[in-house]
Amino acid sequence: MGGIYIKNKWLPYLMIAPTVILICIFKIYPIIQSVVQGVLSSDGGLTLDNYKFLFADKAFWNSLKVTLKFNVIIIPLQIVIAFLMAMLVNVKLRGIEIFRTILYLPFCVSLTISTVIWQMLLNINNGVVNSFLGLFGVRPIGFLIDKKWALFAIILISSWRGCAYWMMFFLAGLKGIDRSVYESAKIDGSGFFSTLFRITIPLLKNTSLFVLVANTTANFLLFAPVQIATEGGPQGSTDLLMYEAYKAAFVYSNRSRQACIVTILLVIVIAVCVVQNVFMKEKEA
Amino acid sequence: MKLKKMMALMMTAAMAAGVMAVPAFAEEGDSITLKWISQGPGETGWEGITPPILEAFEKETGIHVEAEFYSFNDLFEVIETKCASGNADFDVVSVDVTYVSKYGSSGYLEPLDQYFTDEDKAKWDEASYTAGVWDGTMYAAPENTSTQELWYNKTLLDEAGITIPENDAENRLTYEEVADLAKQALEKLDPDGSRGLIGLDFQQVSRIYQMNMLPNSMGGANISEDGYSLDGVVNTEPWIKAMTWYQGLVNDGIASRGYDADQLPDMFYSGKMIFMVGGTWTSTGMTCDDEIGSTYAPCFEGYEDQVATSTGSWYFGINSQSANKDAAAEFIKYFTLGAGSDMWLEINGDVPSRLDKQEAIVNDENASEIMKIAAYEAANTAYPRAVTPVFGEYSTVLDQAWEDVRNGADVEETLNYAVEQFASAVASQQQ
Repeated sequence: MGGIYIKNKWLPYLMIAPTVILICIFKIYPIIQSVVQGVLSSDGGLTLDNYKFLFADKAFWNSLKVTLKFNVIIIPLQIVIAFLMAMLVNVKLRGIEIFRTILYLPFCVSLTISTVIWQMLLNINNGVVNSFLGLFGVRPIGFLIDKKWALFAIILISSWRGCAYWMMFFLAGLKGIDRSVYESAKIDGSGFFSTLFRITIPLLKNTSLFVLVANTTANFLLFAPVQIATEGGPQGSTDLLMYEAYKAAFVYSNRSRQACIVTILLVIVIAVCVVQNVFMKEKEA
Repeated sequence: MKLKKMMALMMTAAMAAGVMAVPAFAEEGDSITLKWISQGPGETGWEGITPPILEAFEKETGIHVEAEFYSFNDLFEVIETKCASGNADFDVVSVDVTYVSKYGSSGYLEPLDQYFTDEDKAKWDEASYTAGVWDGTMYAAPENTSTQELWYNKTLLDEAGITIPENDAENRLTYEEVADLAKQALEKLDPDGSRGLIGLDFQQVSRIYQMNMLPNSMGGANISEDGYSLDGVVNTEPWIKAMTWYQGLVNDGIASRGYDADQLPDMFYSGKMIFMVGGTWTSTGMTCDDEIGSTYAPCFEGYEDQVATSTGSWYFGINSQSANKDAAAEFIKYFTLGAGSDMWLEINGDVPSRLDKQEAIVNDENASEIMKIAAYEAANTAYPRAVTPVFGEYSTVLDQAWEDVRNGADVEETLNYAVEQFASAVASQQQ
């Protein structure tokens, strides 16, 4: 009876070794290489010139501003929508599995393909969305070519797929809450909102923390919709930092600029995640 | 147990075969397979029209060529990614003329002087040959050159009852006249926009290759003499006037927005555009039965003596990491000077870089009007593109500027922003 007894104390390390090695090769090494490349001059010496050039570049500051604006909107938006979707499909209803599947389906379409489809839907000349709006007398809107709309179009494209993904984590969290807690609350006369804010949300804290951190990372590193649909335009309004890094590496062949941008992105993501963790722990205390 | 051993042996053999599997360029017996990466995917693109040339080359030399085609934009990224990492899995690469200096100075391309004699080099016109040279070294050989003409859909114009005024090289239509004709035609053919017709547009919309001919036609330059600045070049009257004119064309509904340069030409080819400024290959792209015609590229009113047409085209280079440089050079010679070049010019209808072919057009009474116009424009109005080792930065910044202006951005603000962006982008490169 009981679990498997491990005789060799090295066996667990051996078992996780392949994963650790792969993480080191494909995650840790590139990160270290980027950080190092950012402070190397063309002759191999140490320098901060690469950062000096970057910080003097208006395009970089614009990109940073766009990235922060994008994340300030998209992170809470996705989390709230995903949570509401999870609440919706957590009800006991005949055939609810079908609705869960339907809501999860967008995530099964690759980001590249969904972007191309949305690009067609939002096209100013013959897109379905503009045709539909036209029925109500709305003039064609350049969702992807008008600087007032483009960032929101990218948020829409990313969220259509993203919300479905994060919904599943919230749903798993909701399923993990003991039904008896709800029953007790009901007996005590707790209403819907009282139950939501005093029981459901506090008990989903660990799930929320994971979703918050993972969602932040995913959105700060978002790239494909921008590259496919807007190429950073119009007028730099969708020029996210990841796209700026991509341009530096693959269009300008400026690897040190790319390394600096990626390092800054890394620092921002770590900082945001640390703040989120501290904030959530403070709430717990 | 035996079966297990056998399986293990087979798997080991398969893995070993995988490890030892050689890339596409490796020799198989006496035959060589070259890998060529290029632009133009699709049946009507280079992918569809080059196979006869590759087959003829294989028949003549025994060298098989495997071609891989990417969209125009993707090709630059593919080259950048492969070359920057020293990738040796391709031998021949199609190089846009503007990137010769960059690829040459970056060590991506093998110098070609050892493969092409002075006699070979003298077979191309001077402009075409020198565009393949950077810092005294030949890095790329010209496939052909290019020029622009004004194309029009005769069927649509007839339907609208509009006749194009008489014109010739000395008495060209102006852009303003063409825009007016396009507007008249749209008012008659598609007053409510339900047919989705476009009045006048540019085959390579929002790409400097073609769009820069507008400011060039008002006397504007492309880049500073040292190739590292846009200040005092694009934030000047010719650029502001040209971009403002173009933006007006879009705002008036005569030119389009929302289509990119990969999509827009199809609108002309399918009979949905009345006038298009485009290259000599336009006629080969038609997919509808509409009758089309072409004439000399327009000029701006008041700038009749400053007509400018885009020029330059694709070149061939050898990957500096290739294991088959001799065979690659043989292929390039075949495609740029030999029988392959003859076939290519006939199939694609481009303007030749070869002097003998240019002379043949000029002296041939039966040569098509399209090619006669092209030969004239190439010789008289062709305006070279910016020569700079930071062409990637240059085209990214200005392509975006053209697209932004097309989508309604303030012209002067956009150009000033482009100047700043370019300055920032090249600052670290200059160091």
